[in-house]
Amino acid sequence: MSVKTATTTQFSAEAVRALSELLDEPGWMLDLRLTAWRFFEEIPWPTGTEETWRRTSLRGFRLENYRPFVPDVLTEVEAEADLETIYREHLAELVSAGELVMDEGRAFYHRLDDTLAAKGVIFTDLHTAVREYPELVQRTFAQQVPLDANKFAALHYAFWRGGTFLYVPRNVEVTLPFQTLARLSQPGAGGFYHTIVITEEGASVTLMEDFFGGERGFHAGVVELYPGPNSRLRYTHVQNWEPTLWNFGTQRIRVPRDAEVVHLIASWGSKLSKVWVTLDLVEPGARGQLLGLYFTTDHQHIDHHTMQNHRAANCSSDLLYKGALKDTSRSVYQGYIKVWPGAQKTDAYQANRNLLLDGRARADSIPGLEIEADDVRCTHGATAGQIPEEYLFYLESRGLDRPTAERLIVAGFFQEVLERVDNADVRRKLETTIAERLDVDVADLGLEVDNNTDHNG
Amino acid sequence: MASVLEIRDLYAGIEGQEILKGVNLTLRQGEIHALMGPNGSGKSTLAYIIMGHPHYEVYSGDILLDGESILEMAPDERARAGIFLAFQYPVAIPGVTVANFLRQAVSAVRGYTAQKDEEGPVGSNLIPMREFRKELTEAMQLVGIDPSFARRYLNDGFSGGEKKRMEILQLAMLRPKFAVLDETDSGLDIDAVRAVAEGVNRLVGPELGVLVITHYQRILNYIQPDRVHVMYDGRVVLSGGPELALQLEEKGYDWVRQQFGNAVKA
Ligand SMILES: Nc1ncnc2c1ncn2[C@@H]1O[C@H](COP(=O)(O)OP(=O)(O)O)[C@@H](O)[C@H]1O
Ligand SMILES: [Mg+2]
Repeated sequence: MSVKTATTTQFSAEAVRALSELLDEPGWMLDLRLTAWRFFEEIPWPTGTEETWRRTSLRGFRLENYRPFVPDVLTEVEAEADLETIYREHLAELVSAGELVMDEGRAFYHRLDDTLAAKGVIFTDLHTAVREYPELVQRTFAQQVPLDANKFAALHYAFWRGGTFLYVPRNVEVTLPFQTLARLSQPGAGGFYHTIVITEEGASVTLMEDFFGGERGFHAGVVELYPGPNSRLRYTHVQNWEPTLWNFGTQRIRVPRDAEVVHLIASWGSKLSKVWVTLDLVEPGARGQLLGLYFTTDHQHIDHHTMQNHRAANCSSDLLYKGALKDTSRSVYQGYIKVWPGAQKTDAYQANRNLLLDGRARADSIPGLEIEADDVRCTHGATAGQIPEEYLFYLESRGLDRPTAERLIVAGFFQEVLERVDNADVRRKLETTIAERLDVDVADLGLEVDNNTDHNG
Repeated sequence: MASVLEIRDLYAGIEGQEILKGVNLTLRQGEIHALMGPNGSGKSTLAYIIMGHPHYEVYSGDILLDGESILEMAPDERARAGIFLAFQYPVAIPGVTVANFLRQAVSAVRGYTAQKDEEGPVGSNLIPMREFRKELTEAMQLVGIDPSFARRYLNDGFSGGEKKRMEILQLAMLRPKFAVLDETDSGLDIDAVRAVAEGVNRLVGPELGVLVITHYQRILNYIQPDRVHVMYDGRVVLSGGPELALQLEEKGYDWVRQQFGNAVKA
C-alpha cells in the first residue's frame, strides 16, 4: 500500500485537511474536524489517575505508530473479489432489509429494500448522507457525543471516516434488521467509524453492525442513537477486531417520551478495548436496556464504562453485562446509575456477571449509584466466580469432555443476554460469533436445537 | 456376553476421612440390585465413586468393568464406557437447554465425530438433528415428560419430581450398561415415585444392569430387585433376595444397627 505524502502519515491539522479534501466534503464538515482536532490537542493524554482510566492502561499505545487514514484502499477488482468471498458469506447469515459493506471507511456495497426506500427510509454510508441529507446529518452528527467527550472522541471527529446512517420516518416499522459490515483491511492504520440511527415518532428498526479486521491497528469509533418519541430502536454492535488492535468507543443514546431502546455490545476482539456507553432517559416513559457480552482470552483487556442517566420521571433502565474470562485476560466494568431530582418512579437495574475460566484471569466491577429522587427502585450487583465443580461433574458424568462441558456452560451463561434479543436472526448471528469465539462450529454448540424445535417436531 | 460391574473390597473417603470400609458388590447386565441403608451409611459416596467424582479418594480395592479397572478413568470416559449415575441432587444449569445438553451427551457417549476431508472437519460432532429429535420425542413419551421441557434450561426451576424424571430421561437417551439410581425416589410423593419407577421399568432389560439406591422400601414395590443389599457404616452387611427389603421395612434400620453397629449412631 503506497503512502503518498507526509501529511497522510501523521496525525496533524494538515492530515485533517488532506482527508477532508480526499472526501470532497462541504466546508462545515472541515470546520468541525478542525475544531475537533483542536480539542484533541487540548485534552491531555490519560495518565491513569483519572477514575475512568484507573484500571485500563494505555501503556504501549503510541499514536505515531498509526497512519491517520489510507489514501487508496482496495482497487475495484480486489473489492469485488473480497465481496464475493468474505462479505457474501457474512451477509447471507442474516436476512436483512438492507446491507452496507465498508472497508477503511469506504463503502463499496450497499443495498436498501425498494419498498422501504419508497417509504422514505434512508440507509447509506455517512459520507453519502453528508452530501445528500445535510440537514438530517447536521441535526444529529456530534449532537449526542460531543466533539470533546473524551480524547478519543475528539480524535474520532477530526478523522472520522465511514459509518452507517440509518433514518426511519414517522410510523414506519421495519421488521427485518439492517446490517453493516465495517472492516479495516490495511495493517497499522487508524479506523474511525461513525454510526447514526434516527427513528422518528412511532417508527421501529433494528441495526446490527459487525466490526472486524484492523491488524496492528487502532479504532476510535462513535455511535449516536436518536430514537424518536414512542419509537423502538434495537442496536447490536459486534466488535470482532483483530487481537492486535486497540479499540476506543463512545456510544450514546438519548431516549425521549415512551421510546424503547435495546443496545447490545458484544466485545469479542481487540487487544485492549475501552468503550463508554451512555443512556440518557430524558422524557417520561423512556425505556432502555443495555446489554453486554464479552469473552476475553490471552492478554486481552476489555473495559466497559456505562452510565444510566435518569433525567425524567417514569423511566426504566435495565443493564446486564456478562463476560467470561480465560487465561490472563482481564475485564473492567464500571457502571453508574444516576437518578436526577424529579425523576420519580424510576426503575433502574444494573448487573455485571463474570465467569472466570482461569484462576489467573481477573474481572473488576465498580458499580456506582447516585439517587436524587425518593420514589425509585434501583438495584445493582456484580459477581465473579468460577464454574461450579458440580456443574462440570454433572456434565462430564454424561460423557462430555471438560472443554465441551465448559463451552456449553459458557454458551449457557451468555444465553441470559441473548434471550433479550428479540430478533431470531440477530440472535443466531450472535450465537455464531459466540461459537467462533469458543473455537467451535456453531452447529457443535447445538444451539439451533432450540431454534428448530417448531419445524422438526 | 453380559457385562459385569464389580466393586471389590473398596476403601474410600474424602479428605482423609474414611467412608467406605471394604465394599463388595457385583452387578451383572440385566440384573436389578437394590442398595439400602440408613442415612450416612455411604450409599451416595459409593455412587459418586463409581462415577468418578474428583473429590473422593480411593484408598484401596478396585472397581472393575468386565475385569478392567475403571479407577483411572475420568467421569466422561466412564460415561462413554457405559456407566450412568442418576443423581440424588441433580444440578440446574441455566442457559443450557435440555435438548442441547442431551444432544451433546448422546453424541459424546455414542462417539459421533465430525466427518473430515482435506479441508478439515465438515459437518458437526453431533448426532444429526432429525434423528436426535425423533429419539428425544420417543424417550420423553416413554418416561412421561412433556415435550415442552426440551426447550427449558436443564433442571432450572424444575420440581423435585421433574428433576428425577429428567434423570430417567437421560438414562433412556444414553442407554448405559449400568445405571446407579441414587435416591431417585426421595422427596417425591407416591404418584411421582410410581411415575419414575414406571419410567425405569420401561428401560430395564437384558442390556441394562441397575443399582437402585434407596432409603425406603416403597420404590421397590414398583421396581422388582433381583438382589437386595444393606449398607451400614461403609460396608455391605447383608445381602439377600427381595424379601430382605420387606424384612427391613418391617424391622427398621435399628435392627441393622443392633446387629452390626458397634457404636450406635443416633
Ligand atoms: N463431601 C463430603 N464431605 C465430607 N463428608 C462427607 C461428604 N460426603 C459424604 N460425607 C460423609 O460420609 C458419610 C456417608 O455419606 P453419604 O455417602 O452421603 O451417605 P448416604 O448416601 O448413605 O446417606 C456421612 O457421614 C457423610 O457425612
Ligand atoms: Mg445419599
